Amino acid sequence: MNMIKDNLKLAIKNINERKSRSFLTLLGICIGIMAIISLMGIGEGMQQAITGELSSLSDTIVVSTGSISADAFGGGFEQGNGEYLTERDLSDIQRISGIKDISSILFAPSLISFNGEVKSVSLVGIDEKNMESIFGIGVLGLEKGEFINEGQQNTCVIGYNVAYEYFDDEIQLGNKIKINGNKFIVVGIYKKQGAGMSTETDDNIHITPRDFEKITGQSKSTSAIIRVYDVNNVESIADEIEQAINENHGDDDFANVITMSSLIESIQQVLSIVQVVLLSIASIALVVASIGIMNTMLTSVMERTREIGIMKAIGANNKDVLLIFIMEGVLISIIGGIIGILLGVIGSRGLSVIMTRSFGGELNPVISIYSIILGLAVAVIVGLLSSLYPARKAAKMSPIEAVRYE
Amino acid sequence: MNEYVIVTKNLSKTYNLGKITVPALKSTNISIKRGDYISIIGPSGSGKSTFMNLLGCLDVPSTGQLFIDGTDVSKLSENQLAKIRREKIGFIFQKYNLIPTLNAKDNVALSMSFSGIRSKERVEKAEKLLNLVELSQRMDHKPSELSGGEQQRVAIARALANNPSIILADEPTGNVDTKSGNNIMSILEQINDKGETIIIVTHDQNIAKRARRNLRIKDGVVNEYD
Repeated sequence: MNMIKDNLKLAIKNINERKSRSFLTLLGICIGIMAIISLMGIGEGMQQAITGELSSLSDTIVVSTGSISADAFGGGFEQGNGEYLTERDLSDIQRISGIKDISSILFAPSLISFNGEVKSVSLVGIDEKNMESIFGIGVLGLEKGEFINEGQQNTCVIGYNVAYEYFDDEIQLGNKIKINGNKFIVVGIYKKQGAGMSTETDDNIHITPRDFEKITGQSKSTSAIIRVYDVNNVESIADEIEQAINENHGDDDFANVITMSSLIESIQQVLSIVQVVLLSIASIALVVASIGIMNTMLTSVMERTREIGIMKAIGANNKDVLLIFIMEGVLISIIGGIIGILLGVIGSRGLSVIMTRSFGGELNPVISIYSIILGLAVAVIVGLLSSLYPARKAAKMSPIEAVRYE
Repeated sequence: MNEYVIVTKNLSKTYNLGKITVPALKSTNISIKRGDYISIIGPSGSGKSTFMNLLGCLDVPSTGQLFIDGTDVSKLSENQLAKIRREKIGFIFQKYNLIPTLNAKDNVALSMSFSGIRSKERVEKAEKLLNLVELSQRMDHKPSELSGGEQQRVAIARALANNPSIILADEPTGNVDTKSGNNIMSILEQINDKGETIIIVTHDQNIAKRARRNLRIKDGVVNEYD
């Protein structure tokens, strides 16, 4: 303990003596740690935002004749393969025990006109409560206005692109648009889902199933949202549903059934891969930083050859000299690491603001104690590894030659 | 306690420079008593430095034995030699060789830190020793802020820090003016009066004559003279 304190004092003096060089060296490690901390913060923030919101939907099963996709930014439904769920399918599902309720989602292409301009947009008929609980989550959610209230007629919630991109004039809350010639009032506008979003919410218009049937005459759905009583049974019920529908249609691949918990899992998987890739890139910075420390320490050993000789002459053994130089390398690395952690915390906030601005949604970085400890540990290890070789070189110097060194 | 602080038995050192071997120190047999005051004189290339390095345990002999305080050091490992240097030997170099980043007090305390002495004791002892070499006013100055003579006095204080059995001084007055040189010599002699063994390597006859026992090295052979 005594020796560590002495070495620490010596290391501080030496780092102080070569301020600008030490600073430049620790800058490298600082950047590496900053990258790791901020990327971990963002990644963790994404995980928590998405899984946190989605986990409230863990009693939910989505069944579709088309494909259901999920990625890091959410999940979504697409127009199916031209097949519909039949009345029989729906009643068969209802008969499975443990199911609380079932509501279908209707899809149809439609023509929208606003201020005399006409565009083709996908129309989605979905229960008011599902509109809110499925599309109101996480990065989804409303930019403006509110969801359709129960009993409201001829009202719609429109996607971000529909509101701001499709027409020459932007659609505002309260504006009237015509869907297949029927007047609807815009009560809500979804947030932009942005790049990588598989859900088509940006380009969809959501209305109630009743209105949907009224204007399209279509009551057949391509997908349905099912809730169960017991979350623990959700996977087995999902299997039952899939089997029942596939039997009805005589096709093993007819139905596509997905539970929110499996959705969460696949989102987490994708997020973990993204995080691993980002962290690997960040660790390249650390490798470069460690070469920097090694270089600085080697120069320092060269410059202090005489000093090493003196220390050995007055009684320092190889271990003493080794520890003096390792302590110096580790200290540079730890200082860089601490600054890196602080900058990483600030950086992750900055990054999340930029990401929120360009992709929409809400993202709060989460810096856990775990990632701070990891950051510090990485700094210590990098300092240790990169100063080991220079320190060994110093320790092995012959005192006679070192004292004579000019 | 052993009467002889240094005993050499057929001590020799040969350097291998490629195919030629250079006998730097030929078979030497001398004994130095505790508390003695010795000078070693010799021209450059005479084997003087080799002899010094062997006595200071900075180097190991090719053949023969060297006893420091009764311990045969000729076959010791690097770290065991470091321990002997730390406990038995105090070095004073011609070019002072202080650590430039440390002030006078820390320079004196440094060698004690390698012996594991507690920080508080180190500081007290360093202050006491710097008082002894009349540097009580300059303790917090770095080497670059001290004159040559002052730096050499710090080096003397440092050499005394671990209560060594032998003080080895290599041209201690070589880099300072005559007045400072005399001052340094009288400090060393005061230390000798207190019972410390002092060995001074010099090329200056006047300095050498101040010692009680005089050794001369020529072509690797050590002789005593009056």
